[in-house]
Amino acid sequence: MIELTNITKNYVRGAEQVQALRGIDLNIAGGEFIAIVGCSGSGKTTLLHILGCLDKPTSGNMRIDGADVAKLPEAKLVRIRRERIGFVFQQFYLIPGLTVFENIALPLVFNRKPKDRDRVMALIELVGLAHRVKHSPSQLSGGEMQRVAIARAMVNNPQVIVADEPTGNLDTATSEKIFALLQALHGTGLTIVMVTHNPDLAGRVGRVLEMKDGRIM
Amino acid sequence: MEFIKLAFHNLLRHKLRSMLTLVGIAAAVTALFSIISFNRGFERGLAEEIEKTGLHFMVVPAGCPHEVASLVLHGAVTPKYIQAGVMEEMQGIAGLELISPMLITQLPNPARDRLDMVYGLEMAHITAIKTTWTINGAVPAGSDGILLGAEVAAHDNLNPGDQIRYGDRLFTVTGIIRKTGSQDDAFVYMPIQALQEILSEPGRLTAVGVKVAQPEQLEEITADLTGRVPGIQIVTMNDVLRSLGTLANSAKVLSLSIAAIAMLIGAVGVMNSILMAIFERTQEIGMMRAIGANRQDIFRIIIKETVILTVAGGMTGILFSLIGAGAIEGFVRGIMPYVPSGRLIRFEPWLAASCILFSVILGMAAGVYPSYKASKINPIEAIRG
Repeated sequence: MIELTNITKNYVRGAEQVQALRGIDLNIAGGEFIAIVGCSGSGKTTLLHILGCLDKPTSGNMRIDGADVAKLPEAKLVRIRRERIGFVFQQFYLIPGLTVFENIALPLVFNRKPKDRDRVMALIELVGLAHRVKHSPSQLSGGEMQRVAIARAMVNNPQVIVADEPTGNLDTATSEKIFALLQALHGTGLTIVMVTHNPDLAGRVGRVLEMKDGRIM
Repeated sequence: MEFIKLAFHNLLRHKLRSMLTLVGIAAAVTALFSIISFNRGFERGLAEEIEKTGLHFMVVPAGCPHEVASLVLHGAVTPKYIQAGVMEEMQGIAGLELISPMLITQLPNPARDRLDMVYGLEMAHITAIKTTWTINGAVPAGSDGILLGAEVAAHDNLNPGDQIRYGDRLFTVTGIIRKTGSQDDAFVYMPIQALQEILSEPGRLTAVGVKVAQPEQLEEITADLTGRVPGIQIVTMNDVLRSLGTLANSAKVLSLSIAAIAMLIGAVGVMNSILMAIFERTQEIGMMRAIGANRQDIFRIIIKETVILTVAGGMTGILFSLIGAGAIEGFVRGIMPYVPSGRLIRFEPWLAASCILFSVILGMAAGVYPSYKASKINPIEAIRG
């Protein structure tokens, strides 16, 4: 579904030229659950951002369902993000002033879609927060916040979930539950790419990519 | 849930900061609306007063034009008097329908241990020259009756029938003039002859008000009068209008510049507040870009925040000026030689709407840069933190 060929990514950090990715070749089939591991600075988050069409590679080819996306302008990439990709972050990034329901519905606003109440409610049920619909994020635990973020990533019916250390801020028990939720979503046919520092979780997914110095080992 | 709601929630997150920014805008709009409304009220009130005064011109001793104008419209204590014999000269001129002598001075009020401002006039002329007055009681018929301005009566708690002593004469209050909002409220009105007798200055006059039989002869008559009587100044109501208009205009330019500066400060406040908010929300903006917001979406959300701030600030400002109208007018009345009677700052819907619109346009201009800056936030750098 996603094909990367010889992808490189350079960026400037201060006075320094960083070679974050140095030739990545990767094929992701639909319905895969992939964990990307590696130490910090190895390029795993950069790779995830490129897979999520949030960042553009410096060189190389990238195809999604056969269509070349490596050189698409931002205006086209944003449409891919809206329609096909769901993002989950380590710090959840919920909007404090909005309720659980409104946070989950937020991508619909940017996608110019009507607020589909049934769909949002179904997602809230799916992530197990039916009793929290009108709560604000400040009333939730870390695990609950990540559940909201996962529901938000799902609201546009994406093909791929890209998750950047989704359990990085959670304790072991809560991490297990979030991981179980991701596994359940994977069970419905969704493709999941997850960056993680947790070797135990990484060991339980379909494929593990270990990165070092911008390359997949 | 649209962008406007998002913008609103963003502002609510920092209630104090949003409130302070809003107060800045409100203060600026208060200044703008009050000043424009006051100026309009001033021009309107002045025109109304001129129209209502039953006189065509006043004969006064030569002096400062503003002082003269104030004297003509509301009375003022000046140390200058018209030379004796002017009345006699004027009675010889054809075409004058009403010649009304006036004497304005201060008299000691021994009972209260202070000086009262006393306005001597022909009581029989009152209905002709003070057309806007409403009197509770009656115009004095005899030489020992007086009328009181509303403030004098209220200050000393006097009512019709009460008595006041000036010099060796005892006067009875026959009526109280209903509050006019002008200097008229601060005077005691006495038959002019009685006042001249107390001063032992028969024939002393501060001014003579004149109504002509045929207004089209006004120019001829004033020219004639100036030729015959030296040492006087003739002030027509048009002169007054022009003189006060000039005064009001120079005040308007100055006060509008102050309002403009206030608006500028308000706008800078908006820009500062929104820039800070964006700085704090960098990661969140990055997240919104990741979940499908494009640059224009971010721009729209931020610019809407400035619009909400300025609309709310503008409306608050209008409210402030209406609440504070009395205090503002009282302050200006205290420092300007002439201010028309009555309420000057009024709620005029189109003026209120224009002031709010102006603040919104300015706020949006101030919001463009922060919004643009927010729309340029690189989502990857934002999320990486």
